[in-house]
Amino acid sequence: MMARVLSRLAPLLACLGLLAIWQAGSLMLNTESFPTAIEAVRAVPSILGDRESVINILDSLRRMAIAFAAALLFAIPLGLMMGRSRLVASFFNPLLMITYPVPKAALMPIIMLWLGVGDLAKMLVIFLGVSLPVIYHSFQGAKAVEEKMLWSGAAMGLSAPQRMIRIVLPAALPEILTGCRTGLVLALITMVTSEMIARQSGAGNILFNALDMGQYDTVYAMIIIIGAMGIGLDAAFEKLRSRLVRWSEPGFDIPLSFA
Amino acid sequence: MIEIDHVSQIFRTSGRQAHLALSDISLTIEDGAFVSILGPSGCGKSTLLYIVGGFVSPTEGVARVKGRAITGPGPDRGPVFQEFALFPWKTVLGNVMYGPRQQGVKAAEADAQSRRLIEMVGLKGFENFYPKELSGGMKQRVALARTLAYHPAVLLMDEPFGALDAHTRTRLQNDLLNIWERDRKTVLFVTHSVDEAVFLSDKVVVMTRAPGRIKQIVDIELPRPRRRAELLLDPRYQKYVVEIERMIDDTSEDGLRP
Ligand SMILES: Nc1ncnc2c1ncn2[C@@H]1O[C@H](COP(=O)(O)OP(=O)(O)O)[C@@H](O)[C@H]1O
Ligand SMILES: [Mg+2]
Repeated sequence: MMARVLSRLAPLLACLGLLAIWQAGSLMLNTESFPTAIEAVRAVPSILGDRESVINILDSLRRMAIAFAAALLFAIPLGLMMGRSRLVASFFNPLLMITYPVPKAALMPIIMLWLGVGDLAKMLVIFLGVSLPVIYHSFQGAKAVEEKMLWSGAAMGLSAPQRMIRIVLPAALPEILTGCRTGLVLALITMVTSEMIARQSGAGNILFNALDMGQYDTVYAMIIIIGAMGIGLDAAFEKLRSRLVRWSEPGFDIPLSFA
Repeated sequence: MIEIDHVSQIFRTSGRQAHLALSDISLTIEDGAFVSILGPSGCGKSTLLYIVGGFVSPTEGVARVKGRAITGPGPDRGPVFQEFALFPWKTVLGNVMYGPRQQGVKAAEADAQSRRLIEMVGLKGFENFYPKELSGGMKQRVALARTLAYHPAVLLMDEPFGALDAHTRTRLQNDLLNIWERDRKTVLFVTHSVDEAVFLSDKVVVMTRAPGRIKQIVDIELPRPRRRAELLLDPRYQKYVVEIERMIDDTSEDGLRP
């Protein structure tokens, strides 16, 4: 009972602990560029109360959502096809090997030359950041699908495309969603960095403008807000994920006595 | 009728070597017969079953079903794999309904039929369990029900009871015989157990160690319905078992597992 309550409270305690260390650290350093945790937290409501700022943050989230969705629509089918076809895999694998280690935000200046500083460039960067882990995990998931499962489907009369959608996709879903979760975090990171490079609107824009103007409490308040968005998105996604793949989670009671 | 006509299978192994898994197999299986393929592991039993299933195409020779050459899988031949291969994202009911739904049976009808089948294989009450939540014997029952659900004329069973404990195995053998005696499907049943083969079959095909050839075909002329307790005491049953075990000792040093 006690352990249960503690493990529920653990994340909260961890956050409070972090804020306490921050508070102590900034009091010790005592420089203007490192506000105390209390000052930063106090600046949060004024940002969230400001119409302009909220529009900026919603703009960021909109770009992120569109790019994330587009990336899934592109990456999942591609990864699954790579996992089931040696030909497709041997074509795309080298391309992925080259692009995987490139920091996507570093491409931002080049992409801006093509697409300008608007939404499209930023969304493309987010799209690239999300796509790679999702392709990789979909690929691994599809490759691991038990062949006999596909054979069973074929014997029931499922065609090859039907087997892809109705067997490979659900069988690989736990692995795909692991990739999506990584992709979601990367989406947030690339979202902020893209706005750092192409200042125009967005959460990153508020943060880096404040930094330029020396409004350090706003800078740290934005870091808190972005962090909280990350935690919120991840928790929401995790909830959705565990619902979708309940069938694959361990920890069921197995009635062993029954033959 | 299933005809296996001079079938050979060569696999290329990763070391680029050719491995002869099946060598010149010819075999005819009558409609409604229960035929077992018996042989040591690695002799190509599964491969032969996959060829009839249409999952593997033979390097040489042809397999035919109802006179037509087999070119791929089809719902006329229902496999029950050693690995179960259930759909883990579907419940027991979802797994069993899958085939009928695919064949266009209406949801309500498929549901009712599948529930009856689940009851028949002794899993009433487990309709909404996921495969993860089932024991090996239960999974095997689901796999059997899932295949029976789309009414294949031929059942292809690959060591279905090989991984089960003796007690569960005996129960499932009896259940399978009951089901078979009811609707007399053609059954091609792979096993490495002599007892099991003699107990279940009309015909036992004894294979040699790799490369797999047919050593001998033994007709099992024991009356049906067969009761295990009676059969074990029946000298004719004992004679078949001993005869077949001798045959196997002839071809392999380490023999078969009992
Ligand atoms: N896809 C494959 N590629 C290469 N070799 C295979 C393949 N499938 C089976 N074999 C080989 O063929 C032989 C027969 O296999 P199998 O049919 O599984 O035997 P059994 O079911 O009697 O144990 C074995 O030596 C096995 O290693
Ligand atoms: Mg085998």
